Amino acid sequence: MRALHRSILYPAVATLVALAGGCNRAAGTGTTGRPRVALVMKTLNNPFFIDMQRGAEKAAKDLDVDLVVQAADRETDVERQMQIVENLIQAHVGALALTPSGSREVVPVVGKANAAKIPVVIVDTRLDQKAATDAGVKTASFVGSDNYRGGQIIGEYLVKVANGRAKVAILEGIPGHETGDSRVRGFKDAIKGSPGVTIVASQPANWERDQGFNVFQNILQAHADIDTVFACNDIMALGAIEAISAAGKAGQIRVLGFDAIDDARRAITDGKMTATVAQYPDEMGRAAIEAAVKAMKGEAVPADIGVRIGLITKENAARDSDKK
Amino acid sequence: MRHRLSASGRRLGTLAGLFGLGVLLWALTPHFLTVSNLLNVLEQTSINAVIAAGMTFVIISAGIDLSVGSLVAVAGVVLASTLHAGMPITIALAASLAVGFAFGLLNGLAITWGRLPPFIATLGMMSIARGCALLFTEGRPVSGFDPAFRSIATARLLGIPAPVFVTIAVYLMAHFVLAETRFGRYVYSMGGNEEATRLSGVNVRLHKTLVYGVSGLASAVAAVLLTARLNSAQPIAGIMYELDAIAATVIGGTSLMGGEGGLGGTIIGALIMGVLRNGLNLLGVSSFVQQIVIGLVIVFAVLIDTVLKARKG
Amino acid sequence: MTDMSQPAPLLQMRGICKQFPGVRALDEVAFELQRGEVHVLLGENGAGKSTLMRVLSGACARDAGEILIDGRPVALHSPRDAQALGISTIYQEFNLVPHLSAAANIFLGREPLVGAGIINRGKLLADATSLLRGLGTTIDPGVRVKHLSVAEQQMVEVAKALSLDARILIMDEPTSALTESEIDELFSAIGRLTKRGVAVIYISHRMEELARVGHRATVMRDGRYIATRPLPCPIPTLVRLMANRDITQHFPTPTRRRGAPLLHVEGISHPPRLHDVSFTLHRGEILGVAGLLGAGRTELARAIAGADVPTAGRVVLEGRPLRVRAPSDAIRAGIGLVPEDRKRHGFVPGQSVAANLALPQLRRLARAGVVDRRRERALATRWIEELRIKTPDASARVLTLSGGNQQKVVLGKWLAAGSDVLIVDEPTRGIDVAAKMEIYQLLDRLAADGAGILMISSELPEILGMSDRVLVMHQGRVQAVLDAHEATQERVLQAALGLAS
Repeated sequence: MRALHRSILYPAVATLVALAGGCNRAAGTGTTGRPRVALVMKTLNNPFFIDMQRGAEKAAKDLDVDLVVQAADRETDVERQMQIVENLIQAHVGALALTPSGSREVVPVVGKANAAKIPVVIVDTRLDQKAATDAGVKTASFVGSDNYRGGQIIGEYLVKVANGRAKVAILEGIPGHETGDSRVRGFKDAIKGSPGVTIVASQPANWERDQGFNVFQNILQAHADIDTVFACNDIMALGAIEAISAAGKAGQIRVLGFDAIDDARRAITDGKMTATVAQYPDEMGRAAIEAAVKAMKGEAVPADIGVRIGLITKENAARDSDKK
Repeated sequence: MRHRLSASGRRLGTLAGLFGLGVLLWALTPHFLTVSNLLNVLEQTSINAVIAAGMTFVIISAGIDLSVGSLVAVAGVVLASTLHAGMPITIALAASLAVGFAFGLLNGLAITWGRLPPFIATLGMMSIARGCALLFTEGRPVSGFDPAFRSIATARLLGIPAPVFVTIAVYLMAHFVLAETRFGRYVYSMGGNEEATRLSGVNVRLHKTLVYGVSGLASAVAAVLLTARLNSAQPIAGIMYELDAIAATVIGGTSLMGGEGGLGGTIIGALIMGVLRNGLNLLGVSSFVQQIVIGLVIVFAVLIDTVLKARKG
Repeated sequence: MTDMSQPAPLLQMRGICKQFPGVRALDEVAFELQRGEVHVLLGENGAGKSTLMRVLSGACARDAGEILIDGRPVALHSPRDAQALGISTIYQEFNLVPHLSAAANIFLGREPLVGAGIINRGKLLADATSLLRGLGTTIDPGVRVKHLSVAEQQMVEVAKALSLDARILIMDEPTSALTESEIDELFSAIGRLTKRGVAVIYISHRMEELARVGHRATVMRDGRYIATRPLPCPIPTLVRLMANRDITQHFPTPTRRRGAPLLHVEGISHPPRLHDVSFTLHRGEILGVAGLLGAGRTELARAIAGADVPTAGRVVLEGRPLRVRAPSDAIRAGIGLVPEDRKRHGFVPGQSVAANLALPQLRRLARAGVVDRRRERALATRWIEELRIKTPDASARVLTLSGGNQQKVVLGKWLAAGSDVLIVDEPTRGIDVAAKMEIYQLLDRLAADGAGILMISSELPEILGMSDRVLVMHQGRVQAVLDAHEATQERVLQAALGLAS
């Protein structure tokens, strides 16, 4: 009886899976005969990556290729991302675009893709140079914006609007992430020349909104005199905005973010946020797929494909929103 | 003999579920039933399977261990730092296993001597161990090891990845301990009726503490595999691994009430989860749908047990 | 209805059948209950009493047969139907929420309200008080149930049933956990109920109390109706009906002979239930321990066996003082405890008979930590044969066995471990007549082989029939030690009540 129940149930569930899979546009085993490329992102619970997916899908349509989009449940789960890439290698995708969840940790699986002769385009977060060289892995291209430059841009903007006097708290991403580290470095280098701009606290909030809220709330408890917060992504900045209004300090603290997601643009328009750096993830997604398809066809691809970057303030928050 | 049949019958049912899933995936995608993909699934399943082996001990003893994911992180960063300090691999492995075992024992002590419910004690440890890993590394991953160490994950014997052998070894050993040794008997007895076991002269405190030590040890073995696989030990590794391990264990038919179950079921449970994830990737199913499907499988597997038990009376 | 001078009985059950896989649990059973009657239901374990009552309370669907109340057939298919018909059951294990007050328990789910969801505390307490007073008890309805004694909790259960307008009250072994004086109170409460027209179906294994409370007794055997007799009725007659054979002798003729002193217990204490208890147990002796509930008998057993660590006193085994800090110390010294609550303390239900028998001595059965399955198997086979444990085989799980056979497994654990001193706490509780006899014979044989047995029992006949000496406890102390020839029911009861003889 038991055996019967289980053996009936699992296939039933799996059938459901198959149906769900059938509904998914990206599914398929190459039955269409078109070449298939994959985009593996960190997670899907960040609008940044949703925008990236949108750009990638548009490019895939234009280039007439099948696109598979996959991501781990959590941005921190490198091992799961590694599994996804391994599985896609098994599914013989023609090329792979990957936003690494860990700049060192994904190196081995890029090596596996090399061995399977599947070209890999790295998107948004660079591979750790040393780890990649040591392992001898090759990537077709890197597509992304210069995070260090972005950090610099927003730092320079702060020096200008604050007239050289500010007490700053930084909300970092996940420690050891190349992306966040570069943004912080750029920001710090930009304010180096202004002794009046001091960093009084710098804490990781792991890219997440709730943690941005909590961490900044705690920072406010310890440093009531803070007048600026720089969050390494907009999600954390939005969390910080909530913490500010909860503390009754709305309008008294400058909020600087990164990524220019829609919610952040709206917050800037509404005057709740000061500035952010536009990253254009949809362009990243498009460029990544274009590069991947070229690499798949054996065409030459530039090793570094820069995606534009720009400062978003109240002046251009609505106007610059050209991605819709 | 009926009782015997029902226990192994359940395992056969789970096995049939795994087989049915395999047949379905075979029908749906040509990429599933290939030697390289099956080896790939086995390799991917190894980490969860090893953690779940330890979890099986804990759950049979009527406990729960929520700290395994954090213990993976602690054991991993200790391993990595020891290697980076230039120690030989054997020393680093020993240090990492010892740390996993020791943290596990601390769980056990909090439960037996501190009389904390396992849920609370290991919930605390989940945070404590995670904090230790972050503190120890200042939040940064420790990466880059020499190929000899990495071969734990990368080596192939007869084309089969090394982690698969590690997993098989862990299960053979764990099964032997659970089925053939005094300690294994006590694990079942404590889970089935702790007071009767104590009154039979068994040192329940000691053996229960050891159960959590075993779970910590299994987490450390998983940490070795993970670190070798990623060529990096992250202090944020293993977040929510406890849930996958618990899921594999209960899908395998081990009762959360304790006293029943076994490793044969757990390995099948882990494989079901691994095959399911692999298949969903191969089919290109959206990440969101994947989460729903995995959740449904866990709930249905346990639901069937509950329904069957209720009907049995 | 048709004949006004002879109203229909309150309850009639006719031709009730129930088939379980492999067993015909009820076979054309009939049962009848009059208003204001206490009707005793008798039968050995497995005779079908419980199943019949489960059918009546809607917990179990019948395959055939009809149920009539006031002469009219009723639809009774769920516990809800039964409740609506005024049928309430008080199980051996109470269905009370320990953290709620007596009043809150009585009206659980039917609390009188003032407004939307707000409980009318005044009315709740007043109603509960009047229900409890109606039963003749003085329980404060505001006290949390966990602070009440077992007897008081039972009264709360009865009050709860009455609050549901129960006309038929099913009581399953209501006196099994009560002291003599509490039983008197229960019986007087039952008397009050029957005066009001409530009918009680009373299930008990205690033959001696039946005539005190019951009007009629119906005997069941093997799922069938056997006979109904007015009470009082000679107990041997009822027993013959139950067992279909003459049980002339309730207890085996002793074959044992008292030998040298084995165990000295000196001034052992474990407050608040155990104070300064001393006695000596000899080889070849069964020392009965009598006393009312709460007299400290179980505490004494647990203190000697190391289940609890005594605060004072010492235990000397064959001249050697023992240091008992844990059960393992006592076991190593050869002291085995067959606990009062088998299910909770005696065995591991999900484990096999073999594993349970081997549990206390896995150390001996294991080499380098690895259990020697052959030796374990041999041990199990030996004791299954020796104790005539009825089990399909050694790998059957203990939970699948009957109560008597479960008890034999618990006894077997200690016999297999070669215990010299066996402490048996309520060895025959909830066990059918035939199995009881086997346990008695077993205890006698063990004593004859040189073991010393401390037998705690709440059944006076068992104490008197089995003991070579009787130790009577009262409020945690030894009140009297009587030799078999001087131990009469009266003298033991007097001592247990704390009266000087």
